[in-house]
Amino acid sequence: MRIGRAIAVVVGIVVLVAVVFTGYALLTVTHSGDESLAQPAGAGTPPDLTAQMARGEYLTRAADCAACHTVPGGAAYAGGVPFKLPFGTIYSSNITADKETGIGGWSDDDFVRALHAGVDKDGRPLYPAFPYASYTALSRDDILAIKAYLFSLPVVHAPAPANDLSFPFNQRWAISLWNAVFLKKERFQPVPGKSEAWNRGAYLATALGHCGECHTPRNAAFAMKHGEALAGAELEGWKAYNITSDKEHGIGAWSDQELIDYFSKGHAAGRGTASGPMGEVVEYSLQYLTPSDLTALVAYLREVKPQQGGVPEHAPLAATALPTSASLGEQLFVGACAGCHLDSGQGRQTDYAALTGLRSVRDPHATNLTQVILHGTQLDVSGQRIFMPSFGRAYSDAEIAALSNYVVGHFGGQQGTLSASEVAKRRITK
Amino acid sequence: MIVLSINGQDSQVDVPDDMPLLWVLRDVLGMNGTKFGCGIAQCGACTVHLDEQAVRSCVLPVAGAVGKKITTIEGVGGTDLGQRVQKAWLGIEVAQCGYCQTGQIMAATALLAQKPSPTDADIDSAMSGNLCRCGTYVRIRAAIKQAATGQITLPQTIA
Repeated sequence: MRIGRAIAVVVGIVVLVAVVFTGYALLTVTHSGDESLAQPAGAGTPPDLTAQMARGEYLTRAADCAACHTVPGGAAYAGGVPFKLPFGTIYSSNITADKETGIGGWSDDDFVRALHAGVDKDGRPLYPAFPYASYTALSRDDILAIKAYLFSLPVVHAPAPANDLSFPFNQRWAISLWNAVFLKKERFQPVPGKSEAWNRGAYLATALGHCGECHTPRNAAFAMKHGEALAGAELEGWKAYNITSDKEHGIGAWSDQELIDYFSKGHAAGRGTASGPMGEVVEYSLQYLTPSDLTALVAYLREVKPQQGGVPEHAPLAATALPTSASLGEQLFVGACAGCHLDSGQGRQTDYAALTGLRSVRDPHATNLTQVILHGTQLDVSGQRIFMPSFGRAYSDAEIAALSNYVVGHFGGQQGTLSASEVAKRRITK
Repeated sequence: MIVLSINGQDSQVDVPDDMPLLWVLRDVLGMNGTKFGCGIAQCGACTVHLDEQAVRSCVLPVAGAVGKKITTIEGVGGTDLGQRVQKAWLGIEVAQCGYCQTGQIMAATALLAQKPSPTDADIDSAMSGNLCRCGTYVRIRAAIKQAATGQITLPQTIA
């Protein structure tokens, strides 16, 4: 009897706490934090921004709105890009100034609140695929400059496709609980004692560029683990590598120039070529940063706490025998790849085709490598189109596994572990 | 105006920087020896030399060729090596339909300039990016050997 009563009391308390917390979450969901703050140092546009690009356009690029809100080849900012999540698919919204299907009817305060609190015009929570957990740090001035730019563009009438999420993830109100726990509605504040460049870099990396949304591992509730900022994560079938200052696992060993090359051209010799989602970041966003902003971003990344994990720079070479010269993988490489990449992996007439030194060829799981082979890659940078066609339809799962394992063995010195069944799974995610 | 050094002669062309070199050669300068195959650097038909390296001109923006020595099939016979390769091609009668052969000859000449005595593996690897739908690969390999050694070489399939 006594135990029964104790259980009833505990259950009652839990239910009461849950109800009170839900009430609190629902009441506070539209609260967007302190909106009275003035523009902080580190926000805004850099001094070396040329007059040709409007302030709002620069900030919109730096915030990389296009990567999610523009379908490749489609109308700018008209939305409709699908995001395949473990629990269903959601689509990005139309953020042109169309009154019916876009944000044409939104006031300045509506738009600021959307970025600071993650709710739409009607106060309904938006899905955190929209990186408001990062944008919440943006200054009000900057958000309004972005809005002014979006409203200056052609209006597109394009209703967003309906989201396809399973229960309970289709319950939007439940996101207010997530927000109440994980969303710190705080604006960016420069850290005293840090250099001007560092503070600007921090604003670029965390608030505008929202690097952590892909590169920071997430906890069981899909919130960024702030203690492991930029330590690397996997999403949509791609690895977003460790970009902390760790020399072995991160980008600590890259020179300043290598980092700047990677941001501005999508390629750093012997280090990496941006492809997949990172290719989009370079294409839509990073290549437009001014020299002073590139330097600031580097200054910030240099001081990000080093974290282990991911594909190391000097992994011990594979102990077991690597694929022999008569292997299927080598035959395929010589036949289909060496024409552009050369046998040496140096790349034929473009540095972008160089394979040596890349993290993607040192990864025994060949995650990003397989994505590129299956789906191809392309990068429009500095008025030049760099591309590789897709080979997914030309080769079987077993052939692509053999090819990936050969490349990882030959150019990365690692024992590739990819199986045909794993390739079959990766064909679906992109 | 862009100035290109093609087969030892300077040519001025008024084209956008990002026009592929192949377009400049064929459509602007009328040098039709270099062929268009796939347009995506997958078949090798458009191979020319840029400072003696074999490159795919269909994906090479013309700006990338400025200041470098361009050699095309029209000029490859200007060197002793190029002449040997052309003679070997004729001697072995490599060509069938011939469409890919200008690319094959350019790739073969670039290979021999780097490796005067290539092994079968060297040939296979250097020529792997040049496709031939008639399947003249065996004769191509024999012609490369004949050009390298000066000895009459018989085309041989390998089991």
